[in-house]
Amino acid sequence: MAAARTHSSVGSQAWFGLTLALAALAAALMLWSEAAADEAPHDGPELVRLSEINEGALLIRTVEHGQYLPAPMVATELDFTINGPVIRATVTQRFENPTDAWVEAIYVFPMPEDSGVDRLRMQIGDRFIEGEIQERQQARRTYEAARRNGQRASLVEQERPNMFTTSVANIGPGETIIIQIEYQDVARFADGRFQFRQPLGLTPRYVPQGRDYHLAATGARGNRAVPDAHRITPPLLHPAAEPTDQLRLPVAITARLDAGFALGEIASLHHATLVERRDDGTARITLADGPVPANRDFVLTWRPEDPETPSAALFVEEWEGETYLLAQVLPPAEMGADTPRRARETIFVIDNSGSMAGASMRQARAALITALQRLEPEDRFNVIRFDNTMEQVFPTAVDATPQAVARALAFTRRLDADGGTVMLPALNAALRDPNPEDAERVRQVVFLTDGAIGNEAELFAAIERNLGRSRLFPVGIGSAPNTYFMNRAARLGRGTFTGIGQVSDVEARIDALFTALERPVMTNLDALFPEGALSEIWPAPLPDLYHGEPVTLTARLSGRDGVMIIEGEMADEAWRETLSLTEARPGRGIAALFARNRIRALEEARFQGARQVDIDAAILETALDFDLVSRLTSLVAVDVTPARPDGIPLASRDVPAMAPDGWDFGRVREAEAAPVQRADIAAGHLAYRSAPASGGQAAASNGLALPATATPRELLMGLGGLLMLFALIWLMTRREERLW
Amino acid sequence: MVIALSRQFSRFRLPGPRLVALGLMATGLVLFAQGAWLGVKADIAQVLLAQSWTRAIDGESASTPWPWADFRPVARLSVPSLGEHAIILSDGGAEALAFGPALLDASARPGEPGVSVIAAHRDTHFAFLEAVRPGDLIVLEQAGEAPLRYRVTGMDVVDAERSGIEPGIGPARLALVTCWPFGSLVPGPDRYVVWAEPAARL
Repeated sequence: MAAARTHSSVGSQAWFGLTLALAALAAALMLWSEAAADEAPHDGPELVRLSEINEGALLIRTVEHGQYLPAPMVATELDFTINGPVIRATVTQRFENPTDAWVEAIYVFPMPEDSGVDRLRMQIGDRFIEGEIQERQQARRTYEAARRNGQRASLVEQERPNMFTTSVANIGPGETIIIQIEYQDVARFADGRFQFRQPLGLTPRYVPQGRDYHLAATGARGNRAVPDAHRITPPLLHPAAEPTDQLRLPVAITARLDAGFALGEIASLHHATLVERRDDGTARITLADGPVPANRDFVLTWRPEDPETPSAALFVEEWEGETYLLAQVLPPAEMGADTPRRARETIFVIDNSGSMAGASMRQARAALITALQRLEPEDRFNVIRFDNTMEQVFPTAVDATPQAVARALAFTRRLDADGGTVMLPALNAALRDPNPEDAERVRQVVFLTDGAIGNEAELFAAIERNLGRSRLFPVGIGSAPNTYFMNRAARLGRGTFTGIGQVSDVEARIDALFTALERPVMTNLDALFPEGALSEIWPAPLPDLYHGEPVTLTARLSGRDGVMIIEGEMADEAWRETLSLTEARPGRGIAALFARNRIRALEEARFQGARQVDIDAAILETALDFDLVSRLTSLVAVDVTPARPDGIPLASRDVPAMAPDGWDFGRVREAEAAPVQRADIAAGHLAYRSAPASGGQAAASNGLALPATATPRELLMGLGGLLMLFALIWLMTRREERLW
Repeated sequence: MVIALSRQFSRFRLPGPRLVALGLMATGLVLFAQGAWLGVKADIAQVLLAQSWTRAIDGESASTPWPWADFRPVARLSVPSLGEHAIILSDGGAEALAFGPALLDASARPGEPGVSVIAAHRDTHFAFLEAVRPGDLIVLEQAGEAPLRYRVTGMDVVDAERSGIEPGIGPARLALVTCWPFGSLVPGPDRYVVWAEPAARL
């Protein structure tokens, strides 16, 4: 027995040591996967993602998957020709390649959703390039071919309805790129005045020195990752810190305004302007103090001199033998104004799925907090959050007492973005109405989401089925919300769509939304034309109008004779307005706006069960007919610079380039070259492109960074098996010992 | 220290060693299960994915395989000569890779000019890459489109950070990527790339 005990003691000693060693190994192993998942921080300049861009920016590809180095913007010139409510915008921007390499870059420019891009012109180095519209895949093939040949080429593609990208191949070290795009937009008519906003927005975040960056959300930490705030919120320079000797980002703005009526007040909300009124009733607007830094949106408003001027604007354009009409008609402002505010029941639904991670979640939280703070004690409300699960703050809507609001606010502040996006149960819960016959209160569902979903059709069906007396107000969060979903959901839900692009917009947009929520609505709108005159009208049917919104429609007509009648109903009051088509004034770009509306309607036909191939065919035809960039068509640039004579190497040609006839890059071309900060980026970070055939050294390519593709499966299984084997042997030897 | 501790243990003769042995057994089991789970998860996921893929082919626009997944099946890859197939996912970050091969966001859409890069784990979905040889047929099916047929043209071992793969350049090609060397227990910087070109062009 004594011997046995000694044996046992020595045995356990050895076993114990072994166990400790194995446990340490196992612990180390468990940490391994975590450690492997954590990406090491790099030294280098600040890179950005496409989703963070909300201004025109030229981005140089880097090896970091999906991350780009912004090229410094040297000068910007904006030129607007305003004809009635139609705005033809020309944006000319000059960038420089801050690196010592031949690069490929992407030029990103966000647009208002209604705008139609139909022209691209570029000057790269000494080459002039003009874009032409082609079927999307054909355009990409053309671009690829040119790039492989070392030619300068560019390609404008629609990424989303409101986001376009231009790829630019073969930009030499330190080369200057001038990009000019043209598009249409429509001024919004509200509160008796036209308003037009051009985003200039944020200062570019180019090359703050020596700041670390981390690889963000697509890394192994996946949806949980909320990247550092400083990466998402670009550093805004304090006005006092602006350099005084030169403007960092000079923007020159010129607008020619032909409103179609005697002009009253013309104002710019954020900039000091010089307004030069001409004898022919038009006006020319320029910046009073010359170029300004690009740190605020340019917002121009104008109103008729006579406030009694009929609030209707009709414009026609003859294009390829057809007549296109644009009509904006504002119902009289006094209609429904004396209707008292009605108590409301408002259900807020907030999306906290993984796709909202980062800035979007902060915007959504800020928007919901602003909205909750606007509730009045006689209102009722509830808050629902959803990812792939769903949670309600109160079982049913409750009175908006300070305690209840405080509880909802605390709930909102705690929300984090994680998980999948399962919207249907939350939508159904929000539309479930315990008192469907309650005429006392209006019931509104405010839905905050980025709309990153794929089952739109199912959701639309649910909205149509369960809407009842509720009204749905989608609030689009993030720089690129699914606007098709939102607009369509708003139309089906008979509400309005509010887009919030930045945290700074939250207050103003939520205010506007609540103002709309508090006034009655104009319904059953219809437009009547003379017999046989109308061939197509978009949108169809006309959507309901909230307070201050005009009826805006585009139509294709066989001629411009007779009258157009617009009718609608508001708070049991009928509204009818007769407009003479012969008095419509000529406008430009109306056919393009018509095509844009038609494409949008075609895209939405998908939710009504149209077949994708039919939709695609119709969209392609429309886009090619009207020269528009769309989901299926792209602008591809062809080199228009005369071919270089034989025998003269391109490198020796340093004659200053002359712009082709009819090209006007304005002052941007001569803009004083601001001292360009060299990008302090390690060569290894840039995704080099092959150099042009005519010269320059092609840098070695680094290519795509590949993900980690190993699991500790075998190691874990082997080690586990080994441990179990040891334990088993031990137990068996112990049993034998007992047998002795 | 160890000796002192084990002396202490030997005083509680009966429960001590037995408990340690059972503890060891449990630890082993947990480790083994963790490892096995990675494999099982990969296999179960493919079954669920196959179902959502069938739904996708039937025209359901966005069929996530399970409610909390933030990725979708985008294609089905098969290697007839090896009898292997897998459902390819949209690239939802590293998370998607646990469930199936992923078509990297940065890469070209299969069939369009450029390189379509599909990555997967070497010890689960892409273990079969080791057996792939030049000339093998690879078939890639996408919802609503004719299957794309590729021939394997060669293999490469590259560094993950300097792969030399330019997704935006050149004609349509396919690159299947996994970790290298196969059978290694620890992760490394090397990646194994199987290149394939559309069969019609060969």
